[in-house]
Amino acid sequence: MWHNQAILTDTEFVLHGSVGELQRLAAETATFCREHSLGDEVEFDLNLVLEELFTNAVSHGECAGMEKAVQVRLQLLNDGVHVEYADRGRPFDPLTAPEPNLDASLEERRVGGLGVHLVRQIMRDLEYRRAGDWNRITMRRPC
Amino acid sequence: MIQLTQETRSGWYVVGVRGRADGETADELESALRAALEDHSKVAADLGGLDYISSAGLRAVLQAARAAEGKNAEFAVCALSPPVKKVFDMSGMHHVLRIHGELPC
Repeated sequence: MWHNQAILTDTEFVLHGSVGELQRLAAETATFCREHSLGDEVEFDLNLVLEELFTNAVSHGECAGMEKAVQVRLQLLNDGVHVEYADRGRPFDPLTAPEPNLDASLEERRVGGLGVHLVRQIMRDLEYRRAGDWNRITMRRPC
Repeated sequence: MIQLTQETRSGWYVVGVRGRADGETADELESALRAALEDHSKVAADLGGLDYISSAGLRAVLQAARAAEGKNAEFAVCALSPPVKKVFDMSGMHHVLRIHGELPC
């Protein structure tokens, strides 16, 4: 007997270089997770990681105001959600960025670096390469 | 989207935060917390209705904590949901903030 089964496809989307795009980023991530029956925790983590990379590119990577500045691809495989993130910002390798000092006092604590720290905490198999004008990051969220 | 409410409970001025504290809404959150600290010496951020926070939202809370320290005011965050608490924990926020399971008031 044949069962009707939805054909699950990868999700791809493009973002312009504006923080106003964060709503669309969240909506696209939510749709992907719902279609693949992934829970709230996975959705939260994917949204967080993508926001951190995206806002870094817009705020510090010269992607502000740039059309089609960022491309995202999400794919569910056996070992979790595979994420391909790419932006046309200036070269930035999140794997080699310095760790923030999380033990520092309120006075001494730098406000930068937290976003990349969260990405490295949450994701596995992070890889970075510069390809032409693009920063390309691949990573996996186990689930 | 973020929704902010203000009320006084048992001597604490409580800013209720609902929705998302992200790169788009963090400035609004920081402004509300700073405004509360302008006029009140005991301010709590009730995060019970917060669904999502990123480092931009964390920065808003850190800046409020700094402002409180600068004027010797008390500042606390309360009622974090498990996913929000996870982000606070990963960021080492417990080193620099008073974090309560329940409202302090």
